[in-house]
Amino acid sequence: MSRLEAKKPSLCKSEPLTSERVRATLLVLKGIVASCYGPSGRLKQLHNGLGGSVCTTSQSSALLANLSVTHPILKILTTSVQNHVSCFSDCGLFTAILCCNLIENVQRLDLTPTTLIKLNKHLLNLCTSYLQSEVCGCRIPVDFSSTQILLCLVRSVLTSKPACMLTRKEVDHISTLILRAFLLTIPENAGDHISLGSSIIVPLKGQRVVDSTVLPGILIELSEIRLMKILPVKKSDSLKVALFRVSLSGDLSDTGEGSVVVSYGVSLENAVLDQLLNLGRQLVSDHVDLVLCQKVIHPSLKQFLGVHRVLAIDRVGAALMEPLSKVTATVCSLLLCNRNGTAWDELKLTCQTALHVLQLTIKEPCVLLGGGCTETHLAAYIRHKTFSDPESILKGSGCTSTELQLITEAFCTALESLTGSLEHDGGEILTDMKYGHFWSVQADSPSDVNWPDLLTRCGCGLHNSREELSWSFLRTARHPFAPRPCLPHEAVGSANNLTLDCFTAKLSGLQVAVETANLILDLSYVIEDKN
Amino acid sequence: MARRVINKKRHLGLQQLSAFADTGRTFLGPVKSSKFIIDEESHESVVVGSTVRLLESLDLSSAVGQLLSEAVQAQHNTYRTGASTLLLLVGAWSSAVEECLHLGVPMSLIVSGMSEGLDSCIEEVTSLQVPVHDVFAHIDSTEVFSELESLNVSLCPFLQIPSNTGLILKKHDLKDVASQSLTTYSLSGIPVKSAKLFRPQATVDADKNTSQTPQTLRNSLLAGGRCRQSVLTHSRHCNREASDQWTSKHGAAAPQTDSCSDLGELAAGLSHGDHSSMRLVEGAVRLQHQNTSVCQGSWTMPFTFDISRVFTCCLPGLPETFSCVCPGYVTVVSMFSATVLEDLQNQPLGVVLIEGDLTENYRHLGFNKSANVQTVLESMKKLQQDSSEELWTSHVLQVLVKFNVNLVLVQGTVSEHLTAKCVHTKRLVIGSVNGSVMQAFAEASGAVQVSYITQVSENSVGRGVSVTFWRSSPLDVGDGISRMAILLKTEGINLVTVVLTDPVTAQMQTKEDRFWTCAYRLHCALKEHKVFLGGGAVEFLCLSHLQILMEQPLNKGDQICSGGLHNTSSWLASSLALYRPTVLKCLADGWHKYLSTVVCNTANYSSEFEARTFIQHHLQNATDSGSPSSYILNEYSKLNSGVFNSGISNKPEQIPRVYDIVTPKIEAWRRALDLVLLVLQTDSEIITGSGHTQIKSQESEGFLFL
Repeated sequence: MSRLEAKKPSLCKSEPLTSERVRATLLVLKGIVASCYGPSGRLKQLHNGLGGSVCTTSQSSALLANLSVTHPILKILTTSVQNHVSCFSDCGLFTAILCCNLIENVQRLDLTPTTLIKLNKHLLNLCTSYLQSEVCGCRIPVDFSSTQILLCLVRSVLTSKPACMLTRKEVDHISTLILRAFLLTIPENAGDHISLGSSIIVPLKGQRVVDSTVLPGILIELSEIRLMKILPVKKSDSLKVALFRVSLSGDLSDTGEGSVVVSYGVSLENAVLDQLLNLGRQLVSDHVDLVLCQKVIHPSLKQFLGVHRVLAIDRVGAALMEPLSKVTATVCSLLLCNRNGTAWDELKLTCQTALHVLQLTIKEPCVLLGGGCTETHLAAYIRHKTFSDPESILKGSGCTSTELQLITEAFCTALESLTGSLEHDGGEILTDMKYGHFWSVQADSPSDVNWPDLLTRCGCGLHNSREELSWSFLRTARHPFAPRPCLPHEAVGSANNLTLDCFTAKLSGLQVAVETANLILDLSYVIEDKN
Repeated sequence: MARRVINKKRHLGLQQLSAFADTGRTFLGPVKSSKFIIDEESHESVVVGSTVRLLESLDLSSAVGQLLSEAVQAQHNTYRTGASTLLLLVGAWSSAVEECLHLGVPMSLIVSGMSEGLDSCIEEVTSLQVPVHDVFAHIDSTEVFSELESLNVSLCPFLQIPSNTGLILKKHDLKDVASQSLTTYSLSGIPVKSAKLFRPQATVDADKNTSQTPQTLRNSLLAGGRCRQSVLTHSRHCNREASDQWTSKHGAAAPQTDSCSDLGELAAGLSHGDHSSMRLVEGAVRLQHQNTSVCQGSWTMPFTFDISRVFTCCLPGLPETFSCVCPGYVTVVSMFSATVLEDLQNQPLGVVLIEGDLTENYRHLGFNKSANVQTVLESMKKLQQDSSEELWTSHVLQVLVKFNVNLVLVQGTVSEHLTAKCVHTKRLVIGSVNGSVMQAFAEASGAVQVSYITQVSENSVGRGVSVTFWRSSPLDVGDGISRMAILLKTEGINLVTVVLTDPVTAQMQTKEDRFWTCAYRLHCALKEHKVFLGGGAVEFLCLSHLQILMEQPLNKGDQICSGGLHNTSSWLASSLALYRPTVLKCLADGWHKYLSTVVCNTANYSSEFEARTFIQHHLQNATDSGSPSSYILNEYSKLNSGVFNSGISNKPEQIPRVYDIVTPKIEAWRRALDLVLLVLQTDSEIITGSGHTQIKSQESEGFLFL
């Protein structure tokens, strides 16, 4: 007899963003991501509260993977950011903070969602077309004939993750290794179509960071010492290899449901072993030098192969199978060391990000100025553009210029307060009125101070305070100005210690942030199935 | 999901760290105090004598506790030493960092300043490195155990107990007490300029061996495995050379660290007060060295101490003096198995090495047994046949007979039925054999390790292994069952067993741990070919170096100016000069605490205050001298030329120098600082999954929910 239970009605909430609870949780989420941002970002200890392993991190990928958010609005946000990170590795926190800032700023305005969304899109287009244009003042072309810019880019990625616990020397060492590993994955004889190889990160936990190294090829750990005696025996330059993905351990393959009935005296195990030994004989007669198996090789087969001077290595693991199957392509192994487990995990993620960033840069050979300079510069550009030429933006949109000014202010403040999240020790942010770059200063500095004395360099490191600039606090109103571009040769000339960001990742982050904010602002109802 | 803000007013994480770290204070330095840990629920208790064992017994399930335990484990697993240093510095630095926060130093500046300071110190202390050269070139044949002698020792050391064993024992006991009173005495003689700072271990058995005749000396050396006495004669010679050099160098402007080229001196210097363990280690090294040189016949390859071929066998219940070093493999077997030894003794045996278990049902790793295979009998007449285990056992025996094998070493467990059958046919099967022991036997006897008995062929059987009783009377290993200790060896086997004995079963673990600590210390020194001048010299140099750095003005544009900050464009870079002295002082506090704890633990000073005053005094002298490293080296040279020691002994050259190992020490510093800085930079704890439902409503203050 079946029992029918009345279904519970679905729960429908209108205007979800106006709810106090949603605002509070959004604020908590923003607090988490914003406090992680940048080289002096604060770390988070992630654990399950029940004695499980502890992850100390400030990376969006590790954070968001472990956050279990419940509200649909937060889910939209975290999922968008996670999607972005899975495609570009970098700029996850940037995306999340910017999205939160946009929602927060725009919500205060008394405008219809349609207007908000339309104008946000216009501003985003302004940004992307500026960043992609030749006149863009916060973009530097990458010269692949020198390592300078690439090293700066890698170093910026590494230093933005303090939980890696690297000293300056160690940052230099790892940056060089990453760049070398990346170069090893570029095929030497590239045709029209380049396909990059892969770098395998091999863990060596507990060792000193400076002991990390890069090796061309695939590193396989041998469990047995006796193999070492066989290894130096090389017949020729290249070994003939047989690669097995299946287990050669001699167990029966899955017989499915039901049972197999065998007569007394018949040993299935021996029958399988006989087959394995046949395989062994075949390998020997085919003059195979090296047998690699993802899983286990039966000890008797191993012994047989050993007697015939065939090197057998088992339990290679699934991770190495893919690169092993195309071992002729460019593969390298990055042996990564760090003192403790949690710092190693963070370093590994960071190295993967850096390698990915280099791959993205080879496709789109330019970088953006880092350290907050791109954001403040971009904000200055948008402000100037909407101030000087509002008509071209408003054309056909049906919006008023007041609405445009309001949205512009909200949009630019979102970008600027994002750069404020780089500061965690109570400093304040200035911007110069020429390049629109980011400058940080100690809190409560007197207003009559001679700024060049107090300031040193801008956030990206391109300009120093002795360049006859004028400054203004980021939080105060300024008259819009057209930010001047830096000249490329200038950039390359002083490129020793620049902070740089990945162009592709940041551009995507910007788009994802604005579009996600628009999506959330557009939500009128949340309907929950309570069954 | 819940989030807790850690540093609302005071940094919770740092407080937890210093609380945890305080528990290990008494394990630092040469004089350690053990601790009892009692489980209130089960009323079980354990004695712990090291930081690692202590942390194993503590509940460290909190996030910070886990990070601490992870750091200690990582240090221990990599170097087997330095865990106490790490723990103490974690404690000292977390309190010091908290103080910095309290004084309003920006967190990022604490992080960069402390890393930079530590880097600078690590560079500075290289001046106190002592090269270790040719320690094995000095070992001449008279000092090495001869093959015959060592055989005698290991076979029946207690059948010819020297007449004065009791005396030695008493002396031994006295020595342990005396080592403390003696050091106190030596200090009370020179209250201000104590040798203690640099050599907390001071003199121990300076006059111990003088009255012994060569014969008893050799006996005690053999029985106790204490080869140090003979070493001392040697090192005295060497030390005299060294001190002569010192005397001649004394007037020089910049004294340099002398090199260390004597194994005995090195071992004594690295023993850190644990002479009995270090003597065993030294014995093991000498045996291994002798063995290698016998095997190689010539000096083509430089000798390296292979610690994986040293093995310990713990025999609780025997007096401490029975501890010794034996070539080969000493293990314990049941009385029943031991009965075959009468027949097997004094003849070369064939050996089979089985990796894995030796049971009928054992299958190699990665083999999955099918669950759904049924065997059916076709006719009734076979029913009467033996069970499958019986069949398997007889098959194994057949193989053993066929290849004339009388000894089977098994890495895993062994079928009891098979063991019994083997005993009946005068064969010995030993289970649970350590992997490196198997490897050593494989190399020396020519055997090849196999997984199954069916794999055994003529090629995989090793030959020439001998077995004998290690001791003729049975022993009780603490569980009331009598067993026999036996010794297995073969010509040229590169394996040394260190037999550790202790009358108190509860202390066995501590004793074994201490042996390994000494072994890894010596191993590391030999591997790195360098040691630090020990006894706090390195920490003291760090302290005085930081003192000088604090007083130095920052010169702009200098590399050091960035103060370890990755981001030189931040405003923090310009306010570095303001906070730098505070941060460096915070770093120095760590070593101040370290030194005063060592001095306190060695019972030279009754209070930490006195200890601090004493250190402060030396610190003042060192910084006033302009070059702290020269000051330290000078103090050392005075030690060696006997200036400090006139009250102790008229043979000052007998006092060996104290050494420390280099990389593990520096890594312990780094790890400690990394941990503190990691926790310092953490502002929230995020409890994921369903864990937050555990947070009770009354506790939920301070939590934010997502």
